[in-house]
This record gives sequence, C-alpha cells and structure tokens, in this order.
Amino acid sequence: MPVSPSGYLDLRLRELLDRLAGETAAPGGGSAAALTVTAAAALVRMVGRRSRGSWAEAAGVAAQAKALQDRAEPLAEADAEAWAAALEALAVVVEGERDEELETKLARSAEVPLAIAETAADVASLAALAAELGEGTFRGDAAAAAVLAHAGARAAAHLVAINLGIGEDDERLRRARLAEEAAAADAARALGAGP
Amino acid sequence: MTPARLSDAQLVRRCRAGDPEAWNELVERFSRYVYAICVHGFRLREHDAEDVFQDVFTRVYERLGSLRDAAAVRPWIAQLTRRLCLDKLAAGGREEAVEEVRPPELEGSLDEIDEAFAVREALAQLPEPCREVLDRFFAHDESYRTIGAALDLPAGTIASRISRCLRRLREVLEGRNEPGSRSS
Repeated sequence: MPVSPSGYLDLRLRELLDRLAGETAAPGGGSAAALTVTAAAALVRMVGRRSRGSWAEAAGVAAQAKALQDRAEPLAEADAEAWAAALEALAVVVEGERDEELETKLARSAEVPLAIAETAADVASLAALAAELGEGTFRGDAAAAAVLAHAGARAAAHLVAINLGIGEDDERLRRARLAEEAAAADAARALGAGP
Repeated sequence: MTPARLSDAQLVRRCRAGDPEAWNELVERFSRYVYAICVHGFRLREHDAEDVFQDVFTRVYERLGSLRDAAAVRPWIAQLTRRLCLDKLAAGGREEAVEEVRPPELEGSLDEIDEAFAVREALAQLPEPCREVLDRFFAHDESYRTIGAALDLPAGTIASRISRCLRRLREVLEGRNEPGSRSS
C-alpha cells in the first residue's frame, strides 16, 4: 500500500493500526509517538474538565491540554511525510555522496520528532500538575498521561539521535534530550503524587 | 481618564459631548471590528471593504446621538456594518453572493468575529505578564521551556501561571457580560 499520510486521525482505529503494521516504512515510530502524545494530552484534558469542581486551575489546565493536543495531532502525519521523503532521497543517493536535497530531507525528518519530543515534555509537565492537584478519582489518569507523554518523548528523542543528518554535538539532539529528561522527571513526579 | 481606558458607554458619552480624542478612540477601538465583518464575514473585496468602512464611520458620526443605549454601541455598529455590506454586495450586482454568504455560514463567521474581539478586549485588560504568557503559549505555540527561558522563570511554573491568567481572563469576560457592564 502506498504511503498516504493524510488524515490519520480521521481513520478508524483498526485501520490506523493496520497502517502502522503495514509493510511501508511510514507511518512508523515517529507517528506512533505523536499519536501517543496526542492521547496523553487528551487524557489530561479529561482530568482538567473533571476537576473543575475542586481545583481552581482545572479549566486552564484543560485549555492548555487542548492546545497541546492540537499541536501534537498534525505531527503524526508530518512525521510520516518527512520520513517517507527522507527514505526516498536515501534510496537514490549515490554511495559516498551527499547532496543538499538529501541533507534538507534528513534535517526535516529530525525536526519533526524534535517537535514531538518537546510537545511531549509539555504534556508530561501538565499531566504531573494534574496528577498532583486534580480531582482524586482522576489522578491515576493524569499519571498515566504523564507516563505516555514520557514514552512519546523518549521515542522521539531516540529518532532524533539516530537520524543520519544529526551529529553528537547537534543543537537539535541536545534539545531532544532535554525534553526527554524533563518528561522523565515529570512522569516520576506524577507517579509519586499518590491517589 | 484617557479615552483608551473608558468603557464603551463612557466613550460614547464623551463623543456626544464633542471630545475629538474620544472620536479618535472610537474609530481606533472599532476599526478592526468593522473591517473584520467586511472582509471575513462578507468577504468583500478590499476596495469595497474600504468604502463600507468609510460609510460606517460617517454614519456613526452622524447618528451616534440617536443611539438609545450607549453601552450597546458595538452591536449597533455591527448591525450598521452588516447592512452596508449587504447594500454594497447588492449594488455591485452580487445578489447571488448575498444569498451565498447568508446564514448559517455568515452568522457563524460573525459570531466568531464577535468572540475574537471580546477575547481581544478582555486580554487588553489583563496585566502585561499575563498577556505575554498567554500570547506566547496560545498564539505562538511556544513550549513551557521556551517561555520560561524568555521570561526568566522556571519552566515547571509556566503551566500554573497560564492557568491563573486564563482564570483572570474568564473573570474579565464574565464581568463584561453582566448586566450594566461594558457592552459586547
């Protein structure tokens, strides 16, 4: 099946999973990470909405979670597009030669997972806040959201690290690692928040 | 009090009293609103929108004395603008276009314009630090880390700060909709 990265969120869940399991390279890990972060943001939104009776900041947390969900959603498709374009360029490259177009496509395929990692860090931060101060019944959902966001950040940071266009001293790699570390700390905070 | 800080009703009273600064403020306060209705609500071409814009403020100047409720100046200007937009479309032989842009699409667009301007006005009443943090997060999609670095604040405090500012924004918007408050 040819790569058709548009409209992942309009697909039925089973069809989306079939695409992830398909033989084409995209959608792949980056798209799955973006979707995981999107789901985590949606969970935080739910916790915010259900905590309005007991937490003065809950509505603001729900609004921020919605904004983060809106940021994460298109990254699933963007990653598939960027990854497919990079693979296509790599397939035709002459061994030992790197051209500008290839470098551009590789860079793009690193920038999208970086955006996923940084959005994930924000979702984890918001989720930790909700796990600490949200309505008691839903704090477990907030903690789950923080862990999912951390997973998305970690996966995305790894994709940045293994990108062929990224060196060890690259600023994008440094930012991706910072995002992953922040998300890890927030997930630990959320899990430690208690019921 | 400077005209920029006056409520809509106070501004109208100052205009009626012949205060030229108040007139400048009235045009400044509603010019984007009128233009948005012309361009985004009725999809007028630029030169048609400019014609309507001129006509609207000419009529506002001539008829402000007949406005019964000074606090209702915004809906009054909106109604005047809509009527003049429809006249402009009809005069240009675009009766079909008039039908095309009529409800529900038009009403939806006008509601969105009203809502956007209400939020914009409410934002203007918040303290600068709140305006900045909301603008960075919601309008510029900046991360908590980026915002924290720019404002020299710990990134972990940004989400709470945004929530508190949103609560203040909501209070301003709710106060605005209470009877006797500044009109929408």
